Amino acid sequence: MTSYHDADKKYNMFSGTAAAADKKRTFSISDDIVARNFQATAGSRMLEGYFPVFDSAVVSRMTAENSLIGTTNMDEFGFGMFSVSGTKIPKNPFDPERSCGGSCGGAACAASVLEDHVALGTSAGGSISSPAAFCGVFGLTPTFGRVSRYGQIDTVSSMGPVGIFASKSELLKKYLPVISGKDERDPTSTAQPELKIGKKKLRSVAVPKGVTDGVSDGVRKAFDDSVNMLKSMSVNVEYVDMPILRHAMPAHYILCATEATTNLAGYCGMRCGQRDGDLSLPFNDYFASFRSKYFGAETKLRIIIGTYATMGENRRTMYLRSLGVRKLAINSYNGIFKDHDAVLTPSMPYAAPKIADAVIMSSVDSYMASRFAAPPAFCGLPSVSVPCGYSDGLPVGMQFTACHWNEDVLLDAADLWERSFIVKAPEVSL
Amino acid sequence: MRIGLEIHVQLPTRSKMFCSCPATGAEGPNEHICPGCMGMPGTRPSLNRAAVETGIKIARLLNCTVPDVAWFSRKVYYYPDICRHYQITQYETPIGSKGVYYLGDKPIRITRAHLEEDPGSMRISGNNALIDYNRSGMPLVEIVTEPDISSPAEAREFLKALLRDIRHVTDLPDDGERSIRADCNISVGTERCEVKNVTGLKNVERALTYEAVRQTKVIRSGGKIVRETRHYDEERKVTTSARKKEFESDYAYIGEPHLGMINVKKIADSVVTKESPHDMILRFRNELGVDEKIAAQIVGTSVEMAKLFENLVKIVGTESSLKWVTGPISANWKALEKNVSEKTGPLTDVIAMHAKGKINDVECSIRIKELITGEDRKTTERAADDLDVIIRKAIEDNPSVVGDYKKSDKAANRIIGAVMKSTGGVFSSSDIVEATKRILNDMIK
Repeated sequence: MTSYHDADKKYNMFSGTAAAADKKRTFSISDDIVARNFQATAGSRMLEGYFPVFDSAVVSRMTAENSLIGTTNMDEFGFGMFSVSGTKIPKNPFDPERSCGGSCGGAACAASVLEDHVALGTSAGGSISSPAAFCGVFGLTPTFGRVSRYGQIDTVSSMGPVGIFASKSELLKKYLPVISGKDERDPTSTAQPELKIGKKKLRSVAVPKGVTDGVSDGVRKAFDDSVNMLKSMSVNVEYVDMPILRHAMPAHYILCATEATTNLAGYCGMRCGQRDGDLSLPFNDYFASFRSKYFGAETKLRIIIGTYATMGENRRTMYLRSLGVRKLAINSYNGIFKDHDAVLTPSMPYAAPKIADAVIMSSVDSYMASRFAAPPAFCGLPSVSVPCGYSDGLPVGMQFTACHWNEDVLLDAADLWERSFIVKAPEVSL
Repeated sequence: MRIGLEIHVQLPTRSKMFCSCPATGAEGPNEHICPGCMGMPGTRPSLNRAAVETGIKIARLLNCTVPDVAWFSRKVYYYPDICRHYQITQYETPIGSKGVYYLGDKPIRITRAHLEEDPGSMRISGNNALIDYNRSGMPLVEIVTEPDISSPAEAREFLKALLRDIRHVTDLPDDGERSIRADCNISVGTERCEVKNVTGLKNVERALTYEAVRQTKVIRSGGKIVRETRHYDEERKVTTSARKKEFESDYAYIGEPHLGMINVKKIADSVVTKESPHDMILRFRNELGVDEKIAAQIVGTSVEMAKLFENLVKIVGTESSLKWVTGPISANWKALEKNVSEKTGPLTDVIAMHAKGKINDVECSIRIKELITGEDRKTTERAADDLDVIIRKAIEDNPSVVGDYKKSDKAANRIIGAVMKSTGGVFSSSDIVEATKRILNDMIK
């Protein structure tokens, strides 16, 4: 087995590690999931020094049989698709000059490099599908409300369950029941129906028309080949109209920003994280000094968008309207799920970009990269990203999205796919 | 003059609103706190059902519409007393809306009543601000009235009656610790000012009176009232300008996704509401023909006593019940309150005997007093010797009363009070009043 400390030196996936693993099976958590004795910063300098005094629900459930070996790097507060806005930048196992995807890049990297490792991450808008695709692993995003979010540092609160990265689909099947279930400490987890596994089969998928418009040639080829392969496996494929997806993107970013604005309001040098401010300042100036100094540029941009979208009349035209768009989007998906088991799209519009390019990419270009991965998360739907091809040696992923609470069919899809498609491991030399 | 109030009342739950910290009994600052009410990253709120139930009871008391489904919202503001920098409150779906509360016969419209969490409390000490988070996350109901109140005195009266009713329907203990806090909006002309965070009934009246006078002076001298938030200084008894008034839209409310939708109807169906003291008073007036002021006196002393009164009415009728309840029973209520349930039967028997003419007034008084206090019969008898003697003795002890009585008959109250106290309910209050006035009138002839 690869030593995770050596892997970390090479790929920079961990923000903090345990000295040693005392059990054979290991797992990690993204830096926004809390565990005792691990600093939790959600990728932000603002929270450096925050050592939680409690374990998150998923950590409590996992540690019975698995060793927690570390926390993984991510974009600051999950704002990003390439893991370049956090405190450390993880490197793609298929090409260390390239991005791991984001926001849970470190988690996907760990799942790709470490044998039989289970990496838990969070997704509020493609943060699992994006890195899973870029790092060539399976990434399962459960239904919102399936997994307790107690102990998850919130950026976005109405989206973003804890999900699983793994190099084999069987690990998803094994660990989803472990982390799932009702938890009264997270009221959103208490309405879930029972998780059933092994009952449903993938028979029919819907592909939104024009889904490969504007994607890279490598992604288009891998996706089209995969669709043909699914057909040959007697899965029915139908092309459908989903015009709402165009509106889902801006609405999603508005909701993310408004919730983030409130969730991040408490970070100001008062109770946790950085606290080295000038106490003689009036409190507003004291708070502002921390927020100016320790929040990254993308975080500040989101806070400004989120504040703008809830002020005065904007509250109605932007925030409340976005909630309405979410309802329409859910209805649109549900209409399709009447006839199909899943919606199939590429996970990302291109393979992993160079880290140097990702760093200077504009915010809007970055948001557009999540146009397939964000809408399911926006609607609270479960999805799974599976490796479906390689473009110039870099992994390409595709994403199945199922109706609420129907993780079962996604696990079947991943399993079915893995039996026919050969998943390549990165050539890791340490 | 138009006055509208925003009243905050802490709810009598055992634990806080969104975590399991105890809601009472902290001995020192920051004792009842946890990662949840300290807003530590990774924690999330979990709603206390009892807070919703109490909210429903209060909403019903205020004749409000209770929604079938409700959710909470985040109200964002930056201040050190609130860790998360947003307060979890209700915005679109208050637990009660569009109600009305009757102060006597006057309707005071209720805009809304919503549930929210209290922030921590802050004390400024020199250059330092000390914060106690024991209060952080305590459940509150905020009641907002329309500007239907027309004077500071009426505001106080309203708060007093409202608090009495809320205490009753929610079983809120009268422990002083949960005193009322109110934001007072007042306009003498067209623009209003808000006096924030005034504690206690007396201060509400004082702050409003000061503000009414100030606004009137400004307008008379040709000035204009600026919409602003003011602060009431309890020491100096004045209001001072605090900051520009924020508008609701500045708080950037968004839904609280952590708590989801709450099925209020389901909870409301299981909540049994008690009759409010106010409704009880009206019922006494309408059904038993009791004068409203006297009904208010009885209910105001104790709802338990009012229930005793109701039981008596069934047996001996209204008039006789009034005589004994407002007389010896009311005077000895403190002693009777502790074991009223076991003594109700014997008391009813005594009064029934009197009603049948088997015992006279004095005998009945003595027996009631005996039953309640368990005191030796002879002491009471001696005291009951002769009401006139006792009154004359009281006047001898307070010779200045006679002179004062010439100027105002209110001076008699000093003697009436003293006699009531010393005889402890042996005589009915109306007898004492009548005898005292008769004797004093004789003396000043």
